[in-house]
This record gives sequence, structure tokens and C-alpha cells, in this order.
Amino acid sequence: MLSAMEALDASFAEAPEAIAARRIVGAPPGTAGDAEAELYRLLAPRARRYGMRHLRDSDAAADLMQHVMALTIEQLRSGALREPERVASFVLGACRMMVIDQRRAERRRDDLLERYADDLPIADIHVAPRLDHRRVADCLERLAERERSVLVMTFYDDAPADAIAGQMGLSAGNVRVIRHRGLDKLRRCVDGGARAAA
Amino acid sequence: MSATTSAGHVPIESLLAWWLHETDAAETDAIDEHLLRCDACGETLDELLGLADGVRAAFKAGLVGAIASAEFVARLAAHGHRVREYRLPWNGGVDCTVAPDDELLVGRLQALLAGVERLDAVLEFSYAPGVRHRIEDVPFDAGAGEVIYLPKTAEVRRAPAHTHTVTLVAAQGGIERALGTYTFRHRPWPGG
Repeated sequence: MLSAMEALDASFAEAPEAIAARRIVGAPPGTAGDAEAELYRLLAPRARRYGMRHLRDSDAAADLMQHVMALTIEQLRSGALREPERVASFVLGACRMMVIDQRRAERRRDDLLERYADDLPIADIHVAPRLDHRRVADCLERLAERERSVLVMTFYDDAPADAIAGQMGLSAGNVRVIRHRGLDKLRRCVDGGARAAA
Repeated sequence: MSATTSAGHVPIESLLAWWLHETDAAETDAIDEHLLRCDACGETLDELLGLADGVRAAFKAGLVGAIASAEFVARLAAHGHRVREYRLPWNGGVDCTVAPDDELLVGRLQALLAGVERLDAVLEFSYAPGVRHRIEDVPFDAGAGEVIYLPKTAEVRRAPAHTHTVTLVAAQGGIERALGTYTFRHRPWPGG
């Protein structure tokens, strides 16, 4: 019987990353440059997001992304990753291991990067553009006071609802409701401003 | 709790909860895994983080005023922000200014807040006589005995000498009661 992860992998057999991974596996090592670049374009941003969430540092997340992609391409080239449809699962597993190992295995990371850095197909990955903070300020101004306060206190240093609740005489549930309402209004206002400016 | 909606995507509030470490281990794993396969949710997350960056940048630039908590001000100071604080006793006033390197102005308005259900703040500025700006339903911690008022630092910095009053009003069952009026006598930084 298939595990949930294997079933999920099977359902993603025709996903673009699985197709690119198959092309790498099927080619002599180092000759599938286009497929490697495509795989990088698809998976590197996802690995970076994982790193941002779990490492809380954009430089560390960028390092994790590079390391995981180097490892993935190495494994595909060498044939060690024999089921290309599992490439996303492999990347997730590698991300998890990297985060766990990061503090105790700096040396291996440097070795890998040294060996593969020149070889890596560095694609120009998409990162959300920075917003005009004056527009964000204008939109914050239109929120109810509680919404503005909760969003500022949340986003200033990524404070969870229960931390804010304790400081503002609210329940964590209240904070989440206020946060959700404020975020929804803020997104619509910022999006509206961006469309108007375009 | 399922991480995804019936459309197969993670709702933005769940992405935010995941980002803020509010999710439990199982939900965190589920969202980690989903984001490794779903670019639409990844782009929603990027948008969310871009918005968070925008809020931080606007706040740090002194473009956003807010009512906050004493703990929040302490965190700002701990992060190295230059904070100028004024503590105003009940119905009190203070001579105040903004130094060139001040990043945040804080007014700590002392008030008896026990039993208050809803609190509004009415703002007046001497350079706009007769104009009152009412901030409704401001957040407060009744036990703290103070309201932490953060004006827009950039606006205050640009302003000429003026007097700014904040009146705290408790609203309960259709009845309003002034809790205190606080006066900031602002002078621009000399040579600023």
C-alpha cells in the first residue's frame, strides 16, 4: 500500500519539476543544462521560502536554497535519486535536514557549494517586489485603530497572536480576527493602489 | 485542522499563522509540504511577506501612528531603535520635541482604565483650531493603567511649534465619560 507521501508523489508525476528531473536523470551527467535550469527555476523559490520560515534570515535562506538545489542536482545527475517524480519530496527532506544540520555541519555545506557552485544553473528567481512603504502607510491609515495596531505589532517582529493578546487585553482569537480583517483590507487597498498606478 | 481549502490552496490566514509559528507541528509539516509543490500559495506567501516588509518600513520611517503596548515599545528599544518617551500623568502636559536621530515618539498617558469597556481618543492640534480627529475603539490593557500613544514621528518632526491634546473618552452603554486630557507642547528641535 502506498504511503500518503508516495501517493502524493505519484499524483505529481507529470508536474513540471518531475518532468525536468526525468530529463536530468535520462541525460549523461552535466549535459541537461536546460532541464537543470528549469528545475532550479521551479524549486529554488520554494526552498527559499522554507528557509525563510525556518531560519528567519534571508541570507541563511538563500544559502539553504543554493545548497539544497546543488544537492538535488547532484543526486539526479548521479542517478542516486531514481524516482524523479519524488523530486519535490526530496527537496523538502533536504530542506528539513539542512535546517537541522545547519548549526553543526557548516563544513559540508561549504564543500558542496565549492564543488558545485560554478556548475549551478543560477536562474533569476522571482522574489516579490518591495512595496512602496508610503502607499502601505496610506493604506494603514485607513484601517480601524485596532487593526492598524495589531498589524504593526504583528509585522514589526513577527509576533504571534498570543503575545499581542497578552499585551492588549484581548484574547488570541480576537487578535486573529482583527489581524485577518485588517490584512484583508490592507491587501485590497495596496492592490488597488498598485493597479491604479499601473 | 486541514491546511488547505477545498480548492486545494492554503488560506492566507493559515499561511500567516504558519509564518508566525502559531501552527502545531502537524500543520507546520503539512504547510511546508504544500508549499514545496504549490507556486500559487508560494506567491501568496511572498505577497504577504512583501506586505509585512512594507508595514515595517512604513513604521520605521515614522509614517504610521498607532496605539501599542509597553512591551512593544520595550522590544523596539531592545532592537536598537532610538525611542523618545514622554510620560504624562493624568490630565498632565509636557514640553516635547523630536531629535534628528529619534526614530519613535511615545506618549505614555496615565489613566484609570479599570472597568472601561470601550476607549476612544480625541486628537486636537493648535494649528487646526476646531478640528477634532476621533480615533474610535483604541486597544488598551486595563491593568496597565496607561495608554501607549505613538504619533507619526515623521509628521511631528516636520511640524512647527504647536500644542497637541489627546482626550481619552470611555464609552459604555451609550454614555461617554472623559478619562483625561493630555497636552503635548511641541517645539521643533533647535536648528533641526
